[in-house]
Amino acid sequence: MNKTAIQFLKKNTMTLALVIVIVFFAVGTGGKILLPQNINNLFSQNGYVFILATGMLLCILTGGNIDLSVGSVVCFCGGIGAVMMDKGVSGVIAFIVMMLVGTGIGVFQGFWIAYMNVPPFIVTLAGMYAFRGLSNVVLNGFSIGVRDQAFLNVFGGGADCYVPDFIGHGSSLNITCMLAGIIAVAVLIVMNVRTWISRKVKGYTSSTAVSEVVKLVILSAVILYVTWNLSRYKGIPTVLIWILATILIYHYITQKTAIGRYLYAVGGNRKATELSGVNTKNVFFIAYVNMGFLTGLAGVLTLARAMQGNPTFGQGYEMDAIAACFIGGASAYGGIGTIPQMFIGAILLGVINQGMSIMGVSSNYQSVVKGIVLLIAVMFDVISKKKE
Amino acid sequence: MKKDAKTVLKDNTMVIVLVLVYLFFTIATKGSMFLPMQFNALITQNAYVFILACGMLMCILTGGNIDLSCGSFVCTLGAIGGYLMVIKGWSAGLSIVALLVISIIYGCILGYLIAYVDVPPWIATLAGYLAFRGLGTQILSSNSSTGSIAPFPETFVDLFSGKIFSTKLGVFNIPCMAVGIIAVILFAFFSFRDRANRVKKGYDADSIGFVTAKVVAIGAVILLFAYKLAMAGGIPTVLIWAAVIVLLFDFITSKTTIGRHFYVVGGNKEAARLSGINTRMVMFAAYLNMAVITGITTFTVMARFQAANSTAGTNYEMDAISACFVGGASAYGGSGTVPGMLVGALLIGVINLGMSLMGIDANLQKVVKGVVLLGAVAFDIISKKNSK
Repeated sequence: MNKTAIQFLKKNTMTLALVIVIVFFAVGTGGKILLPQNINNLFSQNGYVFILATGMLLCILTGGNIDLSVGSVVCFCGGIGAVMMDKGVSGVIAFIVMMLVGTGIGVFQGFWIAYMNVPPFIVTLAGMYAFRGLSNVVLNGFSIGVRDQAFLNVFGGGADCYVPDFIGHGSSLNITCMLAGIIAVAVLIVMNVRTWISRKVKGYTSSTAVSEVVKLVILSAVILYVTWNLSRYKGIPTVLIWILATILIYHYITQKTAIGRYLYAVGGNRKATELSGVNTKNVFFIAYVNMGFLTGLAGVLTLARAMQGNPTFGQGYEMDAIAACFIGGASAYGGIGTIPQMFIGAILLGVINQGMSIMGVSSNYQSVVKGIVLLIAVMFDVISKKKE
Repeated sequence: MKKDAKTVLKDNTMVIVLVLVYLFFTIATKGSMFLPMQFNALITQNAYVFILACGMLMCILTGGNIDLSCGSFVCTLGAIGGYLMVIKGWSAGLSIVALLVISIIYGCILGYLIAYVDVPPWIATLAGYLAFRGLGTQILSSNSSTGSIAPFPETFVDLFSGKIFSTKLGVFNIPCMAVGIIAVILFAFFSFRDRANRVKKGYDADSIGFVTAKVVAIGAVILLFAYKLAMAGGIPTVLIWAAVIVLLFDFITSKTTIGRHFYVVGGNKEAARLSGINTRMVMFAAYLNMAVITGITTFTVMARFQAANSTAGTNYEMDAISACFVGGASAYGGSGTVPGMLVGALLIGVINLGMSLMGIDANLQKVVKGVVLLGAVAFDIISKKNSK
């Protein structure tokens, strides 16, 4: 029992770190960080990190390859969308064009990386320069406001970017949101129990019933706590739906599909993967095309959140996304890392940012603390894994 | 002989690209690029890249590892230097020693984390990237209302910037030309002696005609530079620093055992370890060296701007990394040379300078820089691929 407990802790070091950080800031801010509004902001302000880090994780999986251009491409896509809507184009068309532009950039960069063997670092560094410059050209150096209310509501900008309360109709507690949380917990329990039973039946090694129950209880409690707080504020922010959809879809892709497993295989041993008949070039190509696609989505969310396109947007986004992956335990050499862990990494980063802002720490010290936390988090992880 | 000419071209694609780009800008700027002033600017504006990229190359050689923290570390060191020299009134010599000690301490910590704790270099230096920018800004803003500290004492500034034996602009500077001529004679002497040695020991050696052609070509470039610099008022002090460091690292990487160890570790770490190389020590040395080189870079940058401010060193890491990769260093380690890096750094410098001279809009400059970076590396890779 003692041994399994230690193993459990080792497997979940980052989750543990997250809990400690939350407790620290809850005490440090006198509980303010746990207010419904701040829990809401945690998702609204960091929407782009979750989306970008998902794409970045797939690139990192292929062998520690990264994409430095995402910050500039977010800005570029946002700029195009802002200009289009300013010219009177509908929000739907603008959305489609932004996604196409992002994906197109992904195709372009993926081509050079996968088929021409130019190092990803160079291709995406070139993209970082070029698209920052082009964003300025598109926006003419100005910021352009977005007034399309439907666009803002759907993608998480402005005051009304929440899923309307169909059921509660103006009650102080958002019933729709609460109900969604309860349904999510129910689905989670059913799915997990089903997987657990099917593993048992097929005779795979699987965790004990006790640890499974403990895990489910904790997860359910967290989900219910978050939805309860969101219900007390304004309900489900629309951006949360985009985040969850992305996370769930990509979690499924990386764990259950062939292409997902190829990403891990290529990152683990490229030569062996190639010799076992996988077209590794295509895997690289797909990773970067997908990164472009998700960058387009992050561009849409950033544009909506800020309610304007601005040539300085997206600066440092690539570092946030990369940091979330690495804090979440992705290997800098590829082949290791999962979406749920990245999710924890992104939340940890978000909590630290928010906690320090609420405590009124100067922005200079904030970046010092962020750097130190990043280092400690990874050292903790590296050392605890090494001892095995 | 015909085949020889072809391989020579293949081996020197980047040099050819550099010459073509230079010619292009000379024509496009109607000869402004060829003025003595611009030769001087090319050296003084890019000296930091030459110096920093020497350190970065050593890190990249060990396996594509990079240092993202150097730009921010330049900012923090500059701020500390400003605090010591301007506010505390320390002498230049004492301050330089203090800053070097701080660099060595940082280098030891960084090297220890990367080499002995196995923290991925990406993370360890990303943490430094965040922390040192904040720390530098904090030191500056708490010591100066304007956020920058100036002016530095003259003894310090003279040591790292300005000119040696300076004469007026347009007056032919004899010491400068003399140094150029001596450099050419030494270069010719070493080239021929090297070849004679190889022939005597029965190694493969280039034909006497080829060595002569190389000496004449490089000699002509050195003399052209010496002449132009002589007309621009003399040898920039920073050129001496850059030249000493570049020559030192060229010697270390190509002629010494420790230098070869960097290539071996980058080529195959496991094989290097099994053949008795202390791979951890090599990694440690790479990052300790990088920190010291960053310290020296900081001196030249502070002296050039004669002030410490919070934006100092922004994107320096990208410039140094680009120079190495454009100069043919492998993103996976084990290959790359100092002369190659020098050509890469010059290429980027020429593009930046040429575009400023042409008065191209700063936003389009970024686009062009990105396109050229990608184009140059792709050209190099494709031409090498075809030759296989």
